[in-house]
Amino acid sequence: MASKAQRMPLGLRILTYGFVFVWFILAAFPFFWTFWGSFKVELDFFSIADWTNALTGERTKAAYDSAFTGAAYHGAWVQEEFWRNVINTFIVCFFVVCTSLTIGTLGGYALSRSSFRYTFWLLITALIFRAMPPITLVAGYLLPFFEWNVWGILPTTIIVLVAINQPFTLWMLHSFFQNIPKELDESAKVDGCTQFQAFRHVIVPVMWPGVITTGLFSFLLAYNDFAVTAMLLSESNRTMVPAIAAFLGTTYTEGNVMFAVAAVVSATAPLFILVMFFQRQIVSGLTAGAVKG
Amino acid sequence: MAEIQLRNVGKRWGSFVGVDNFDLTIADKEFLVLLGPSGCGKTTTMRMIAGLEDATEGDILIDGKKVNDLEPKDRDVAMVFQSYALYPNMNVYENIRFPLKVRGIDPATHDEKVRRASAMVELDDFLHRKPAELSGGQRQRVALARAIVREPNVFLMDEPLSNLDAKLRVSTRAQIKNLSHELAVTTIYVTHDQIEAMTLADRVVVMKQGVVQQLGSPTDIYDKPANTFVASFIGNPAMNLMDGTMSGGTFEAENVRVEGLHAPDGPVTLGFRAEDAGLGDAGHHEITAPIYTLELLGDATMVTVRIGGELVAVRAPKDFRSEIGDTVSLSVPASICHLFHAETGARIEA
Repeated sequence: MASKAQRMPLGLRILTYGFVFVWFILAAFPFFWTFWGSFKVELDFFSIADWTNALTGERTKAAYDSAFTGAAYHGAWVQEEFWRNVINTFIVCFFVVCTSLTIGTLGGYALSRSSFRYTFWLLITALIFRAMPPITLVAGYLLPFFEWNVWGILPTTIIVLVAINQPFTLWMLHSFFQNIPKELDESAKVDGCTQFQAFRHVIVPVMWPGVITTGLFSFLLAYNDFAVTAMLLSESNRTMVPAIAAFLGTTYTEGNVMFAVAAVVSATAPLFILVMFFQRQIVSGLTAGAVKG
Repeated sequence: MAEIQLRNVGKRWGSFVGVDNFDLTIADKEFLVLLGPSGCGKTTTMRMIAGLEDATEGDILIDGKKVNDLEPKDRDVAMVFQSYALYPNMNVYENIRFPLKVRGIDPATHDEKVRRASAMVELDDFLHRKPAELSGGQRQRVALARAIVREPNVFLMDEPLSNLDAKLRVSTRAQIKNLSHELAVTTIYVTHDQIEAMTLADRVVVMKQGVVQQLGSPTDIYDKPANTFVASFIGNPAMNLMDGTMSGGTFEAENVRVEGLHAPDGPVTLGFRAEDAGLGDAGHHEITAPIYTLELLGDATMVTVRIGGELVAVRAPKDFRSEIGDTVSLSVPASICHLFHAETGARIEA
């Protein structure tokens, strides 16, 4: 049992638990509200007459004989073919992650092992590009992409997303590599490896959690991107996020808000699974035991 | 079979000289120790032989073949790193096997070789552990086993004992000496610990600021230090040194008078080892000074006096007792004295 000195005063304990509780509600409530509402009709979820309709589902009952309905999901996935956007998103994410990680691991390794002074300036340049809002780059891309007739297709978007993503992956992987002692490379080289074999057989296996973490971050960036995908993809090639925006409608076109709500829930679910699946890979004690003791 | 020749090898970073004009032939099966304080260029020299560092000047030859432009893997050397550099994702068995694997040696022989190497360093019971689950001494032995497993031409060891505690250091040192005797492979061993150098080496190279100070057998280096740096680096305690003047074969300093020396008149540095000297008697009482401190070592008592700002220690019998401040007379006959040039520090041969 904790001694008296270590125990927090009651007031402080109530305050900390209270704070965590409030924070949890603030963070999680929008998700639960959206998830709940996605099974209602628009007149309930966005009811002007009485907001409690969103909870009880009066209109939903009237229309479908049940307080819950999958009509919004049916509308989004079947009627509007939201699955096409899902496939597009995964194509974009897959290629963005693969390309960024390939360039990032090779580049980050080279920069971390190089003794030249310009590596520092390369990294600083990368940081500056990372700091810029992506939209500033997109505006410049539009005209040449139209001219070359490459606007609106997935490969163009993938390349632009990789370009926006790369400084970050390079930085992150560079700092991971920096934490791996140089003696490991050197030992591998004396043991009979070429520089690349040392990288492949010794460094990458040690680095694997770092690569996964970086990959996860660049996946999320591609997955959640709106600015680039909305500007660079034609209507038929949209990924999920611009598609959801389109469901919401514009001042000129009427959208279907419930389709958007259902699509949002559909887009969020895989993220929960992904993050929970990889949470154990978060890097700690990565090279413990490799050097000294 | 490997003879290593270093021909005027040098290493510079800009204007900084890491190693200057290193010229040495290391005989086949010789155990050579590079000894010096940190930053003296000993590790750089070894890394140049391994191929981890480019020599900016001179040639490195292994068995008469110039290896300057060869990759480390093509030099047939094995190296033990100070930090062990074990592969953390592999268990002990895989760590030891790694050099065989990447060199494409017949997989059928791997198991036998790994087991032989691990038996030599008494690691048989730990083959399936990861490096993180081993103690410092065990890790060091894995690094040794990984180096010996493919029977290389040359062994390089970079301060392999410096991360071990004192007791383990002694036993691992004995193990390394035994291994090198059994394997009979040319070995270059870097250390800043003069006891390791004395116990292990066939020959010792003492370095300072990139320059070789002395090359010789441990006995040479101990008995005939080439200059005051070597004299003050080798031995425990290091050689006593004191500045004074020679006139007509007599050395004189404050509280000191040694007769019967052979050196030109003028300022010199006189040195002697604590264990060569003793308490004064009627015949010899070259030093007479108040005791600065008295240390009981168990097998002896170390008597320290101050001569012109320098501490001078003398080994006395273990039952010698006195008080700090008491005057003591010490015997330092001319036969045990070493003389060094007062400015350059170079040895003056009698």
